[in-house]
Amino acid sequence: MAKARDIQRRIGSIKSTRKITRTMEMVATSKLRRATQRVEQARPYAVKLQEVIERLVAPDLVELQPILRQPERIARSAVVLITSNRGLCGAFNTNLIRAARELLDRAERDRIEVDLHVVGRKAVNFFRFRGVEMASTRTDISDAPTAEDARSIIEPVARQFVAGEVDAVYLVYSEFRSIMRTPPVARQVLPVFVPEERVRSGPWYILDPSADEILSRVLPLYIINAGYRALVETAAAEQGARRTAMKNATDNADDLTNNLTRLYNRARQAEITQQIAEIMGGSEALVD
Amino acid sequence: MSSDPRVLRVSIISPAGIGYEGEAEAIVAPAYDGQLGILYGHAPMMVLLGEGELRLRAGRSLHRFHVARGFLQVVENEVTVLAEEARALEGGEVPSGQEAAH
Repeated sequence: MAKARDIQRRIGSIKSTRKITRTMEMVATSKLRRATQRVEQARPYAVKLQEVIERLVAPDLVELQPILRQPERIARSAVVLITSNRGLCGAFNTNLIRAARELLDRAERDRIEVDLHVVGRKAVNFFRFRGVEMASTRTDISDAPTAEDARSIIEPVARQFVAGEVDAVYLVYSEFRSIMRTPPVARQVLPVFVPEERVRSGPWYILDPSADEILSRVLPLYIINAGYRALVETAAAEQGARRTAMKNATDNADDLTNNLTRLYNRARQAEITQQIAEIMGGSEALVD
Repeated sequence: MSSDPRVLRVSIISPAGIGYEGEAEAIVAPAYDGQLGILYGHAPMMVLLGEGELRLRAGRSLHRFHVARGFLQVVENEVTVLAEEARALEGGEVPSGQEAAH
């Protein structure tokens, strides 16, 4: 009977798959560590930038800054969806795509036209397959996104906002709250809204050049930084999701190997027992 | 250095992290319209930076950074430099008998 050998072949193939998933798990773990570091290192800059804007913004400046304009109604918005280029990370990309589609559906109900900008091969392929029109696609963002990447994604939509072509800009990405919690979120980045009670500009500041001019430089930095954080947090969440997915795959492979080994032993034993029975039967026939 | 209270507390921060955090006696920063020197006791200020080299003197050592797309804020002898790019360059020693900041 070839049954025992069949099982052995399956065990062999599962073990080699396990080797791959285990390696991917370890790679994701080390990439996750570096990605988490990047998320943390980006934090002080974001906090300070927010503080500075609150110091600079005065109610009378809001009218002067096109980037601070608050459209009365939204006729057209831009959605920037950030996903990963690679798969094998569980439901990570599916969840992000779902969050984006919810946003798109809601916009359709409210009769808002939407420009969909997609980052990451996974979502690009999804929407292309579905025949959904995309305003722009990017598949060249690496595991370690830079401020330059963020600038090249955000600047064109910010320009459209300033020109009045779109009235709102949303980022859909994975927020990295902790390694275990990385929910997809849809965040409005434009128009920038500074709550009045947070405004604390003082006349005691020397401003060079004027607050208006500084703001016109700082606000773009602020928005680009929102894009940068979305990129690094999504990159970290991707590695976390991949690590979990690969750990589950490795554990499953272990379970399968255990079960199959048991099955193999039983099949082998059955074969031996049968062979002994045959020999015994043969020798008994010779005695008489 | 810490025995002298007349020093600036400096932090240089970019999206990639904190580039420098510590004390300095003098800073020369590339403002948008020229070089800008800051010493202890400077009035509160916020200034736009251009692209160029930022130097700071801490004791006998000189730190240099390449900064771009940023700005600098001084409040109560605390200097915060925020820039999209802030890359440390090779530092050095302050030549004796010569001021690093002019």
